[in-house]
Amino acid sequence: MRIGRTVAGRQARAAWMFLAPGLALLTLFTAWPLLRTAYLSFTEYSLLTPPEWVGLANYRELLGDDQVTNAFQNTVIYAVVVTPVTIALALGLAMALNAKFFGRGLVRTAVFVPFVVSLAVVSIAFRFLLDPNYGLVTHWLDGVGLAPTQGALAQPGTAMAAVMAVGVWKNVGFYMVMFLAGLQSIPRDLYEAAQLDGASRLQKFRAVTMPLLSNQTMLVSILAAIASFQVFDQIKVMTNGGPAMSTETLVVMVNRVGINNLEFGYGSAVSVVLLLLILVLSMAQYFYFGRKQVRY
Amino acid sequence: MRTIRRTCGAALAAVALVGVAACSDGASSGDGGPVTLTMWHGLTGPDGPAFQEVVDNFNDSQDEVTIEAEALPWDSLYQQFLTAATSDDGPDLVAMSASRLPQYAERGVLGSTDEFYADDTYMDTSVLAEGAVQASVYDGVNYGVPLNLGPVLMYWNKALFEEAGLDPEAPPTTWEEFEEMIPDLTVDEDGDGTPEQYPIAMGDHSTVPVFPSFLWNGGGGVVSDDGTTSLLGDAATVAAAEHWVNLVREEQITPVGMSGADSDQLFQAELAAITINGPWMTAGLTEAGLDYDVTVPMAGPEGQSILGDVVSMTISQRLTDAEKDAAFTFFAYWESVESQATWANGSGFPAIRTDMPGDAVTNEWAAVFGAPEVLENVRPYLTGVPGSGEINEDIFTPALQSALNGTGEVADLFPAAGEEIQAILDDGS
Repeated sequence: MRIGRTVAGRQARAAWMFLAPGLALLTLFTAWPLLRTAYLSFTEYSLLTPPEWVGLANYRELLGDDQVTNAFQNTVIYAVVVTPVTIALALGLAMALNAKFFGRGLVRTAVFVPFVVSLAVVSIAFRFLLDPNYGLVTHWLDGVGLAPTQGALAQPGTAMAAVMAVGVWKNVGFYMVMFLAGLQSIPRDLYEAAQLDGASRLQKFRAVTMPLLSNQTMLVSILAAIASFQVFDQIKVMTNGGPAMSTETLVVMVNRVGINNLEFGYGSAVSVVLLLLILVLSMAQYFYFGRKQVRY
Repeated sequence: MRTIRRTCGAALAAVALVGVAACSDGASSGDGGPVTLTMWHGLTGPDGPAFQEVVDNFNDSQDEVTIEAEALPWDSLYQQFLTAATSDDGPDLVAMSASRLPQYAERGVLGSTDEFYADDTYMDTSVLAEGAVQASVYDGVNYGVPLNLGPVLMYWNKALFEEAGLDPEAPPTTWEEFEEMIPDLTVDEDGDGTPEQYPIAMGDHSTVPVFPSFLWNGGGGVVSDDGTTSLLGDAATVAAAEHWVNLVREEQITPVGMSGADSDQLFQAELAAITINGPWMTAGLTEAGLDYDVTVPMAGPEGQSILGDVVSMTISQRLTDAEKDAAFTFFAYWESVESQATWANGSGFPAIRTDMPGDAVTNEWAAVFGAPEVLENVRPYLTGVPGSGEINEDIFTPALQSALNGTGEVADLFPAAGEEIQAILDDGS
């Protein structure tokens, strides 16, 4: 018993030693900013003078703030469209690129490459591509009579659509790789058994592939949803939340309110609301997919 | 030493962004010895070398004060200055748009420059353009000394005027004259309803505030001159805004949704016949070989105010008396006839002094932008208003964009936006 305790103690000490640097960094860069943000959300703070405690004033203000409502709606629209579209495309691509064909590696790389490129660079490139006067995409759309009268980024409806399309294109490769890994871990004999039973391709997909990809689906769904709710770079660069705030999401708003207007207390309150939103959503997804999880 | 300081500054900016200030970038000031002052500015275009030339001349002219000037893009400058100021660190001198200045002055980050204007110790400041000096006044205290004054004038493409059958030497002088020219200056070759050439290029965001100057010339405005009252809901403002919004929506005089850079590009590519912009645009257009000229913007029914963009040199509140004296010595050197000639000839900006000798400024554009009738009518936008950024970017611009996009009407959008602006003004008072 004594030896066991000593060994366990040693192992625990070693574990804590290995964990310590990571925990320290996590505390410094995640836990502390999170707690600090929560505290600042109850203050009025311009960064230049000490925070002044105002209680729930910021939260009361944001409840009646049309700009918060607008940013919230835009965030939800973005997440509701981009998340499922990204997942569906990533899964479809993973299925297609899991088959053996000539040049498969090249195609996989081509799909993954946008994820590696800086989002700011991608956004700047798409601003040029969508330019109403010189843009290549505008030129193509014009050729088939689909180009918007004004630039795609100049009108509320098309600007949001353009931003969402870039978001999907940029990230689909990353999620495709996760699905690919999942697909390759499914034992071949399950498909062979299904084949012997006379299952169609759709039946194999529904009865074998999807259940056994439930772990990846849960992970991808949660990651993609969180990423969608936190979308910032591409909107900041492509539209800066415009035109007329039609693409301003909650994170873009936090940046505007904090950095531009020096209202860090109010910006923190919006951040806390976003945090709670993501937390609730992630928990819901976790429990939903957790129930459907298949182990073998 | 310079490399170390720069490296340290870059590290400071990076560290400050994650909330940990750990590096000192302060200026050195000996006890009665030579003083070194760091200065941040955003003159990253063709005006940068002209500014640096004056700084180098100043550093070479004496041994008591050294100015170490560093150019950063304006956006980065404001963000980095903000984080640097919180740790009571950062540059000793900062050049910033006069409309941004109250935001920092209000919070005690900047020091007063009233002493510079108090007597003739440093220079006779009465020779400086009054509008440029007043632009840095907040709450009765002057927090800056003008670095530049950029009147916003009307550029027109003479070749496009000629192609349209118009007199290339006769740009529109009034709104009515411009409206008469719209059919001639609009080219829709393929007849798809989207012009290939527009009469005018006007950005509606991230640009010099051209639309507010239209509101002035229609008898309205965004905020009253004393910065206490919102004018956006006034009948004259709404009428002026409706006039221009209708021209954009119905006559397609300009594309909507353009930033200032997009607008510049459109004019430079000869896809628009007119644009309204500051002197910084002349170098690029001349280099591109455009056949253009510049004049005062077309007058509205209620006047012809000329928008004047002012950049002021400000000082940190933490400067000692010796450092402040050194800063004011540099400011006086900057405003000298010799330096202003170097600046105007090198940049195309007008001199800030109103008493420049006739032969001192040889740059033709500097002379146009610095003409007495221009400088006398220059009107700054939102200077002295603490919430200027929020008013212009978060309230006025979205309301204007909604109107231009047709997602709302001026008569509804502007009065509502005016109420929001009034709330900010009341908060700041």
